[in-house]
Parts: sequence; structure tokens; C-alpha cells
Amino acid sequence: MAEHQEPTYAEVNQDVLDTLLHTGRGYWILLGVSITVVLVCFVGPWIYQLNVGIGASGMNRNAVWGTYLSNFIFWIGLSHSGTLLSAILHITHSSWRNAIYRSAEAMTLFSLMTAACFVMVHLGRVWFIHWSAPIPNEMGLWPNFRSPLMFDVMAITTYLTASSIFIYMGSVPDYAAVRDASTGLRRRLYTIFSFGWRGTAKEWHTLAAAYLFFAVFVIPLAVSVHSIVSWDFALSIVPGFHHTIFAPYFVCGAIYSGTAGIVTVMYLLRRTMHLERYIREIHVDNLGKLLLALSLVWTYINALELFTGWYSGTSYEIEALKFKMFGFYAPLFWEMILFCAVVPMLIWFNRIRLNWTAMFCISILINIGMLTERFIIVATSQPIKFLPSAFGFYFPSMIEISITIGSFGIFTTLFLLFIKWTPCISIYEVKETLRPLTRGA
Amino acid sequence: MTKSVMGMFRYQEDSLAAAKKLKSSGFANPHMMSPIPVHDAYEALEYGVSAVRRFSLAGAIVGAISGFSLAVACALVFILPTGGRAIIAVPPFLIITYEMTILFGVLATLLGFHFVSGLPAWRDAPYRPEVIVDRFSVVVDYEEESQRADAERLLREAGAEDVHNMEIE
Repeated sequence: MAEHQEPTYAEVNQDVLDTLLHTGRGYWILLGVSITVVLVCFVGPWIYQLNVGIGASGMNRNAVWGTYLSNFIFWIGLSHSGTLLSAILHITHSSWRNAIYRSAEAMTLFSLMTAACFVMVHLGRVWFIHWSAPIPNEMGLWPNFRSPLMFDVMAITTYLTASSIFIYMGSVPDYAAVRDASTGLRRRLYTIFSFGWRGTAKEWHTLAAAYLFFAVFVIPLAVSVHSIVSWDFALSIVPGFHHTIFAPYFVCGAIYSGTAGIVTVMYLLRRTMHLERYIREIHVDNLGKLLLALSLVWTYINALELFTGWYSGTSYEIEALKFKMFGFYAPLFWEMILFCAVVPMLIWFNRIRLNWTAMFCISILINIGMLTERFIIVATSQPIKFLPSAFGFYFPSMIEISITIGSFGIFTTLFLLFIKWTPCISIYEVKETLRPLTRGA
Repeated sequence: MTKSVMGMFRYQEDSLAAAKKLKSSGFANPHMMSPIPVHDAYEALEYGVSAVRRFSLAGAIVGAISGFSLAVACALVFILPTGGRAIIAVPPFLIITYEMTILFGVLATLLGFHFVSGLPAWRDAPYRPEVIVDRFSVVVDYEEESQRADAERLLREAGAEDVHNMEIE
């Protein structure tokens, strides 16, 4: 793989700002397509569901949670690597983070927003969503903070707020660069966004301190968010849900799918925005090694989850396990194992790991596997509970499948808008990785 | 009206040396601008440990108290007996406390960043766009003409490529 010559400081500004200030026809076509997907596949079916009721989905008396919640977990999971990885690598002074973290953090933010859409779709009567906030309402109800669903509200609100601030603060010096490179209305807007940043030593000093604290706050927060999402399941007594391993299982799965998501996004950015000089071999190599390690941990925890179910000797657990592994959804279960545990073993090979296209394909397969994993957790456990007479079945309706497709449109639309609003690569942090402007250099 | 002299430097160490010289020559508060953080400058300009951490700590403490109080208050305002469980249940309420600690800590850190750095600062101030790209600058305020000449001389001696005089209302 050809390595590119190191750019100068001025070239970094030029290259990155070009992605922001110059827009080709391909961008507008892609944006148009993704907005159309949102309107046709997400908004339309949702309006239909609001009109006819939640019965438009495949959810029923035995399976009150369906694809909407499995998608919610998937998108929350996808959000995990961006901010978390960025924060960990920032604290450990890993300079390879600098070129990729901005887009990874944006991925976090937009995955969270997409996940929040699924909460609203799942609610059915979304106009009562304010009942989950601790404010007086017309029913005189107050939230029950003993419920894991309320933990979720608090955790996701906090994560969304913290992630937004984290990405915004890191972007302020770059907004100043956009301000100086633009004119007219754009210049006025970026003057506001950049808070009048001038790059004084005092501003850098304060940003460094604040950014470090953000990173310190975000790491335990990210771990808590997916642990709490797992408790939505694990704190119930449903066989297949009620496992103590669920919190680490979910956190590991979230980081795994998030890291795969970063590889996907980096590949697309590199190819479409010609950022080969910045998103380099070291990035795909390190992300590949991380994916490999995570796939091994994920496989171990997955095996442990099956083992504890079997070793419990409880007939309900064994029944749930049998249904998962050999029942109607068995093909999906084995597809998940293939994509998340077997395919990633190819990353052991240098030729695969250092090949962007191969890693892109593997990352897509991993996320298909992870989407399936979330679906299997929801669809195979809840309908098969304790009494055989109460056994049910869940299959997603066309409305749910369409809304699932539409959610990818929401994410893509938000990300496309982001890359024209914020430099997708951190200009000042990339400069920090270059040879310093000193006489010796 | 504030009168300032700004020296533009190609090299980081030259700008740092200029800032140190100006400080040792009795100029109060010279400041540096750079396209990247210059960590050595913090020591040279005697910034010490940032006060942002106090905001973070205060925010986290307020958040922890608020989080627990919120959970307790909601439980007491709307009493919901569930299977003999305690109305004020500490373990689940600690999770709310944990999240609120982080939420308030983050918000207070943001507030601290603005307070300590003096941003937003949309007023006119000595600045040239090159410092966002690839130049380092050192700015010093003066009141008398003799100080201006001294500052210019020190900046040029340290290796400034250009020296600009600025007057800002």
C-alpha cells in the first residue's frame, strides 16, 4: 500500500477545508437519495403506524418488544466506539487517533439520534413522551426511577449531551479555520460557532484541561450507557434475558460494532473525499487489531452466555436456548456466529488487515451480524417464556422492516450534513502529528 | 484604546523565546497565538494548573446531590408500592445519581471552559488569520512609544518575520 508524503500545515488546512467548502454533484445525489429513503421508508410508515396504531408492527401479546427495540440497541451500540475510543486514546496520548476521531465522534452522535428515533417509534403514542421526564404532567404522574427504562432515559440523555459537547469543543479551533477561509454568511456563522477563537496559549491551555475532563467523564459514561441498556433485559426474569453477563456482553458488543462502524465510515471518507494522506495504513492496521481482539472477547462472552443458560439446568433456559440455536431463527443465529466470530479471524492475516477494501467488507459483515444479534436477543427470548400455553411468535411486519431501512437513511443524512458543517478530520490535531515547525525539524 | 505589537514567527521555538524575553523585560502579559497547542508556552507564560478542574468537581458534586434528590423526590411525590420494595430504594437511585454526576460535571466543565478562556470573545482583538494555518505570533500591549520600540526590537531579535502595530478601540 503506497504511503503518501507528509503534508505541510498549510496543506492540511487546504485539504480538509476543501472537503467542506467544495461540494460535488455526487454529494447532492447521495444526500437526495438518503433524504428520500428517510421520507419513504421511515417517515411514511411511521405516520401510517401512528394512524392505525402499534398493531401495524409485528409485536403482539407474547412479544411486546420487537424490531424497534432491537434496532434501538443496535444504534446505541454503534454509537459506542466513537466517543469512547476517542476519549481512551486521548487520555493515553495515542496520536493515531487524531485523524479519525472527529468522524468517529460524529458517528456516535448520529447513531444516538437514530436510536432515539426508535424509542419514539416504539412508544406508539409518542405525544406522551414527556411523561418520562421528571416534570408535572396532566396525569399527576412522576417517573419511577426504580425502573431500568428510566435509567435508560437518564443515561442516553446524558450520553447525547456529553457526546455533543465533546465533539463541539474539539471542533472549536477548526471552526475558526473555516471562519478565516470563508466569506459572507458562512463567515458570520462560523464566527459564532468558533466563539471568536484566536488560538491564544490561554485558549489552548483551557481547552486541553476541559477536553481532558470531558474524556474522563465520557469513558465511565459510555460503559454505563450500554450496561444500562442491557439491564432493560437482564433485570427482567425472562429466560434468555436474565443473565449477569449481559452488561459486559452488551458493552463488548457495542464497542465491537462501533469499531466496525468506524472502519466503514473511514473507508468511505477516504475514498470519496480523497483523504488518503490523512487516513492511512496505521489506522486500518490499529483498528483491525482492535476489531480482532474485540471479536475474540465477543465470542468468549457469547459462548459463556450459552454455557450459563445450559449449565443452569433450568428447563425454561434450556428451552429458550434450543429455540435460539435450532428454532425458526436458527439460520440468523448461525449467520451471526459466522459474521461476528468466524469472518473476523481473517484479520489475523496482514494482507487482509492492511487492505482497506477487505476491512470495509469485514466491517459491514460484522455490523450485519451485530444487527442480527440484537434481533435474536429480542425475538427469540420474549415469546418463549415459562408456560407453553403462553408461547408466542414474533416476526417483523413490513412496516418494521421499512422503518429499519429508513433508519440507515437518517444516519446517512445526518452524517452527510455533518461533513459539510464541521471538518471531518481535526485540522489542529493532525498538525500535531506532523513534524513540528521548529528549526531542528 | 489598546495599542499592541504583534510579531509573526515561522518557528515555534522562536515565538516561545520571544514571549520569554518580553516577560523578563518587564512587559506584562505577552500572549502567544499558534495553530497547534504549544505546551511549553504554558510554563513560560506561568499559567499553572487550569481552574477548569474546580468547575468539573463542583458540577459533579452538585450533580450527585441533584440526582439522588431527584429520584427520592419523585418517589415521595408519587408513591408507587411495588412488591414490597422500598419506596426510597438506594441501589437503583445510585444509578440516577451516577448519570447526573456525569451530566452536571460535563456541563460545569463546559461553563468552566468559557469562563476561564474568556470565550466567547467576538470583540476586536489583535489577530491575523495566518496563526490558524502555519504561523506563530506573540502579542504584547504597550502604552508609551519607547515600549513599542523595545517590543519591536525584542521580537525581531527573536526571529520575527514581520512585526505589526495594532490599535484597537
